[in-house]
Amino acid sequence: MNTVKLYLHSMWMQLKCQLQYPASFLMQTLAQLIMEGGELLAVILIVDRFDRLNQWEAGDLYFFFGVMSVTFYLTECFGRGVTGAFPGMVRSGQLDTLLLRPRGVLTQAMCWAMDPRRFACIAVGTAALTLGSRMANVQWTVWKALALTEAVLMGGIMILGLFLLEGIFVIHSVKSVELVNAITYGGRSACEYPIDVYPRPLRVLFTVLAPFALTLQCPAAYILGKPLYGWPDWAAFVSPLSGLVSFALLYLLFRRALRFYRSTGS
Amino acid sequence: MSAYISAFRMRWKMELQYRGAALGGIICQIFFGLVLVAIYRALYLGKPQSMPLSAITTYVWLQQAFFRMIFSSDPELMDKIRTGSIAYDLCRPLQLYGYYYATIMAQKLMGSLLRAAPMLIFAALLPEGWGIALPASLPALGLAACGVALGLLCVSALENIVMGLTFRTLDFRGTQALFNMLMMTFSGNILPLTLFPDSWQRVITLLPYAQLLDTPIRLYTGEYPIARAPEALLIQALWTAALIALGLLIWRQNQRRLVVQGG
Repeated sequence: MNTVKLYLHSMWMQLKCQLQYPASFLMQTLAQLIMEGGELLAVILIVDRFDRLNQWEAGDLYFFFGVMSVTFYLTECFGRGVTGAFPGMVRSGQLDTLLLRPRGVLTQAMCWAMDPRRFACIAVGTAALTLGSRMANVQWTVWKALALTEAVLMGGIMILGLFLLEGIFVIHSVKSVELVNAITYGGRSACEYPIDVYPRPLRVLFTVLAPFALTLQCPAAYILGKPLYGWPDWAAFVSPLSGLVSFALLYLLFRRALRFYRSTGS
Repeated sequence: MSAYISAFRMRWKMELQYRGAALGGIICQIFFGLVLVAIYRALYLGKPQSMPLSAITTYVWLQQAFFRMIFSSDPELMDKIRTGSIAYDLCRPLQLYGYYYATIMAQKLMGSLLRAAPMLIFAALLPEGWGIALPASLPALGLAACGVALGLLCVSALENIVMGLTFRTLDFRGTQALFNMLMMTFSGNILPLTLFPDSWQRVITLLPYAQLLDTPIRLYTGEYPIARAPEALLIQALWTAALIALGLLIWRQNQRRLVVQGG
């Protein structure tokens, strides 16, 4: 409980820090809005030209985009310390100070930074989500709301796990590895669209290794009433739990990697 | 002149040192290319367009191969302004705009050549309907190469304007983000410009962002026939000249009102 309080407190401080430079903050937030708006524009233009993608119609596509966008950027906003700051800490040797404190490294990294600019992206994602559910005529029930909440939560935890993977690579090789980006950012870009569009190797990658499909798309497809691969309804509630499993595995690897950590000194 | 050339060569050699980093970038870019091609294939299955699928896959691969030409910046150069170490460069008996222009261009050229060559070979080896198609004709290939060269001059001029504006805001992330985000959409990186609504294309192909890679790619695929090539290349050249003039103006004014940060 104490940890949660600490985390919330530092998030509040981070927010206040960022707002100290209002002009720069506004410009960067605006840029984020344009960036994510551009991504959404691409989906809108694709729909305009092609009408549909396999069995998925316009509303479905916006909904998938929205689920991914909201989840990914929520994680990036609150997990900024893990993805943005951690590699730098390893390279500069700052991680040493974290290891000396009576808190877990992950907790401290989480408290290290926050990225409130991402709220602009989350807003675009929410707009896409709302638009999509309107256009696809989704009849909202308690179960569907629950499925969406679980998807965002579990998807976020899974993505946080993938950010830890970057940390693991950095500890072992000091230099950040672009390869990991193919899985995290590539996963985000690829899974903005329903997974069944892709050839088998890509489907396996995003179902088994980085379960974007299980955590986000299976519940999204259930909400849209077009179950992924024709799976039963209960799958939409069970499959997102894979996010927790993959996070647990990566967290264990992260703990292991920390034992091999050698300070870069300075 | 020779001073600028040696600045160019120095940065070029530095970029060559990072061959390992290039490998990671290549794999990442190939991955993005495959994902995009898979989506367009599925879309074409549902509703074929007048433009052949191979033109779209070619567009995607060329965009991915030259990604580094458009999206690469050197935080060290930008940081020079914030930290004040730009003062050392001011002491050089050079025109600063030209010095930075040469440095930026070397980084973009070498960064993209290192990645483009292996990626294009990979894309050419992919099966029919997945990879890159041959150019429309041999002259088209030559014209496309001219287009890429002009695109490089143009994107370096754009980047140098971002640098110039950084003198005013000190924090380059805001200005750069604003510049680059329009670039993602309107250079054809997220979605080929050829797939934008036809009524939009008349306007967006005239924007500076389309001059970077969109024009050369259209020359390559034959979307712009050879008869239209002089006009397309002229628009590229005009934008390049205009952006260089604007950049020079910004830099000249900056040097007059420059306050060096730190000590």
